[in-house]
Amino acid sequence: MNGTRDTNDITATGDDGELGPQEAAALLAQTKRQARRKFNPNPPLLSLLRAVVVLGAYGAVWLSVRDQHPYKGPSGGAIAILYLLVAIVIVASVVFLRRATTGVQGPSRARPAEITVLAAAWILVYVFMGALEHAGASHAIAYGIYPATAPLIIVGVAGAGLAQARADWPMFAGTLTVAVIATIAAYFGPAGAWLVAGIALAAALLVHATATAWRQRA
Amino acid sequence: MPTEELDPLIHVPTRLRIVATLAALPDGDTLSFTRLQDMIGLTPGNLIIHLRKLEEAGYVTSEKTGNGAASKTTVALTTQGHKALDAYTEALRGLLGGL
Repeated sequence: MNGTRDTNDITATGDDGELGPQEAAALLAQTKRQARRKFNPNPPLLSLLRAVVVLGAYGAVWLSVRDQHPYKGPSGGAIAILYLLVAIVIVASVVFLRRATTGVQGPSRARPAEITVLAAAWILVYVFMGALEHAGASHAIAYGIYPATAPLIIVGVAGAGLAQARADWPMFAGTLTVAVIATIAAYFGPAGAWLVAGIALAAALLVHATATAWRQRA
Repeated sequence: MPTEELDPLIHVPTRLRIVATLAALPDGDTLSFTRLQDMIGLTPGNLIIHLRKLEEAGYVTSEKTGNGAASKTTVALTTQGHKALDAYTEALRGLLGGL
């Protein structure tokens, strides 16, 4: 719960001795930095993990489809890796979220309706995939371009909508970036969509991790 | 260096840490007493004493819900508290020559 303390920890717990302006400024900056870090549900480490997972999951699928002519779809093993890695990210995200929001109450907490919207978007996008197959869509669409990009576009846009309602502009920019990346990736074909989406998302997550780490040090 | 222009209520290490921690909360959020205690590393008695002083000045607001062992106290920085911390930060900058 306490996380790591700064090596230049200034404070002595409960010490209310004389404080010079320089010490006060250092203490204020250090306390703000530590508090922001502890309240942040999306720390750099989590973004880094997400980047590795996205690259691993999308990369595994791409490796299984890159030589398919005509395109048939990802292998069972690649899909298993994809779901396993997605499950790892979900569990890690919940752990970080709980740690950051323990004892915090108020408007920043996710409301049940918001969670329902995102969960519905995520589930319905896969239900819709069944309709595509039922209607005779090619494997390139039903098992390629659509699953590689549509979940990211739909959930990204839904997330952006929720973020703008909260005036959470960093989250708005992040979720919209995901949707834009996925839309661009769709133009790279059924196999290329997995590769481009995976690399671009991982890069975006690395940028987020770096920016967050830099902000936290400032 | 003279420190008279610094708000004496905030210019105490423990209270400075309390106010700075609460200021880092997202807008409109409150923090449980136990989490704040955990983050600051104070005994409950010490924390209560400092919170009471801040509350008397209108810098902090606390709310208790429930009874007995199930009771929960949440704490938040008021608008006045945010302004006081901003003024304190500005005063510090002035003392340190804009550093």
